[in-house]
Amino acid sequence: MNAPARLHAKALSVAFAKTPILKDLSADIPDGKITVIVGPNACGKSTFLRSLARLQKPDSGEVLLDGKSIHKQANRSVAQRLAILPQSPSAPEGLTVRDLVTRGRTPHQSALRQWSHQDAEAVGRALELTGMAPNANRPLEALSGGQRQRAWIAMALAQDTKILLLDEPTTYLDLPHQIELLSLIQSLNQQNNQTVAMVLHDINLAARFADHIIALRAGAIFTTGSPTEVVTRNNMEQVFELRCQIISDPVHGTPHVIPE
Amino acid sequence: MSWSLRLPFLSLSFSSRAVAVGFGLLLLVTLGTVLALRLGSYTFTETSWLSVLLGAGSEIEKMILLDHRLPRILTALGAGACFGLSGAMFQTMMRNPLASPDVIGFNAGASCGALMAIILTGGNVLLGALVGALFTAILVVGLAWKNGLQPQRLVLIGLGIGFALAALSDLLLSRTDARTAADMAEWLIGTLNARDWQDVRVVWSGLLLLAPAIFWIHFPLARLGLSDDLSSSLGLRLSPLRLGLTGLGILLAALAVCTAGPLPFVAFAAGPIARALVLNGRPALLGAAVIGALLVLAADTASRMVPSVQLPAGVFTALIGGPVMIWLLMVQFRKGKL
Repeated sequence: MNAPARLHAKALSVAFAKTPILKDLSADIPDGKITVIVGPNACGKSTFLRSLARLQKPDSGEVLLDGKSIHKQANRSVAQRLAILPQSPSAPEGLTVRDLVTRGRTPHQSALRQWSHQDAEAVGRALELTGMAPNANRPLEALSGGQRQRAWIAMALAQDTKILLLDEPTTYLDLPHQIELLSLIQSLNQQNNQTVAMVLHDINLAARFADHIIALRAGAIFTTGSPTEVVTRNNMEQVFELRCQIISDPVHGTPHVIPE
Repeated sequence: MSWSLRLPFLSLSFSSRAVAVGFGLLLLVTLGTVLALRLGSYTFTETSWLSVLLGAGSEIEKMILLDHRLPRILTALGAGACFGLSGAMFQTMMRNPLASPDVIGFNAGASCGALMAIILTGGNVLLGALVGALFTAILVVGLAWKNGLQPQRLVLIGLGIGFALAALSDLLLSRTDARTAADMAEWLIGTLNARDWQDVRVVWSGLLLLAPAIFWIHFPLARLGLSDDLSSSLGLRLSPLRLGLTGLGILLAALAVCTAGPLPFVAFAAGPIARALVLNGRPALLGAAVIGALLVLAADTASRMVPSVQLPAGVFTALIGGPVMIWLLMVQFRKGKL
């Protein structure tokens, strides 16, 4: 038996206007791994991720971060350990990439200490890692979709947390940019030993980049495990109602879904 | 380009553009103040105003400059700064330029409260304005609240409440004698006529007292410009922060209204102008304060320059603010935010 994961959902239930979204959902987000949450539209993927990030308060159950309920901990202290990039985030007009990334330092700053040496270092590192240093002084609205998404990731990186949650980070990106972004996230996970959990739509990308997959159906966990364990013909039919063949990706050896 | 300031107890960074804009604005305020001191029904020469300030000159010149113009100008600057700060705070907090205290009825509430204090009790204008603004804020926010605060709902409900309060003010005027009503009507448009050192003390000591809170809240306010989810995930506690900002914004608006009347459009226009100048996506509170001060100073000086008709300063701020509102509405329409 391993030590318990730092981030753990315990019997979460969430309902919007009496429609249940999550039902008694329990799951571990394994430390140091890339976890991808998959499932059909409206299965509660985003709500699950938002609950993990304390942005959605559950009606019952709780999310444990380092063994304590996340809602009972100081918001700032949580923000020093866990970062989330919500779906299609927005920034005020004129904000430069550097200013945006600097805002990721908020949980380490205060009104009197707004720009310490550590802040400058972390911001520089985040810009380097995401390849956004050459664009640091450009306003966000002047960037392409792929660059903008990198800028947002850089902000989350500057936050310097052990856990990084991403809600559909590849939305609005074309395939090359999706691969580029997910490779970046993979290298961050490997270099910084950062725990990553993200929602992805594309099951093949999930299978390729995930260490661990959580498959949701109708607000409950259908199955969890490694890509080879989760992405099977039987599971795909039951989770997505998709009849398909599974082949082995000839390049990466991960399972690949071919819809029938 | 950006500059870093690092002291043992304080570290900040500025963009060089913001610093340049800051110096430019300070220069403008200085020039504007000198011009405003010199110009009027009695005009001082290029050097005489200074010698009067330093204690020379005739008794009449001293009276004009030191007892009338100087307090009036200082009140205008202070009230303008309060309006600018209050407007920029609400606009940044709600992420909507229409959500300024003069648009969403808070100024109307403050002036209504002040009127009631004067007419019904003959009492304290500041207290009346504060209670009026606070009551209006509770009413507007309470009515607009629906699973959180939505800017559009707030703006529309605030507009409606503002009109209702203006009607209430009219009703109050109609119940008083003609002389008081005429004075009050001018005050309701916003005027700095006959301000004395007492007004200067009220507005500037208020600003000074609130300055540390304003400096402190600028840091989280700048982050609040991102979405709710993001600011929350960055560790901000949204509800206490919003409560603090609303309280501070109401205090500032009430302070301005009780010393200069509900000058229209100053709080509304100052923030967007400052942000357009600085253009770095920060709330530009200091810029908004200085622009607000400049707007009120310009409006008041203009109103003194046409002595025969004695137009209140509010007429001039409306002349400046109206086009700004149209510009902002057009920008908002283009972005599909309305």
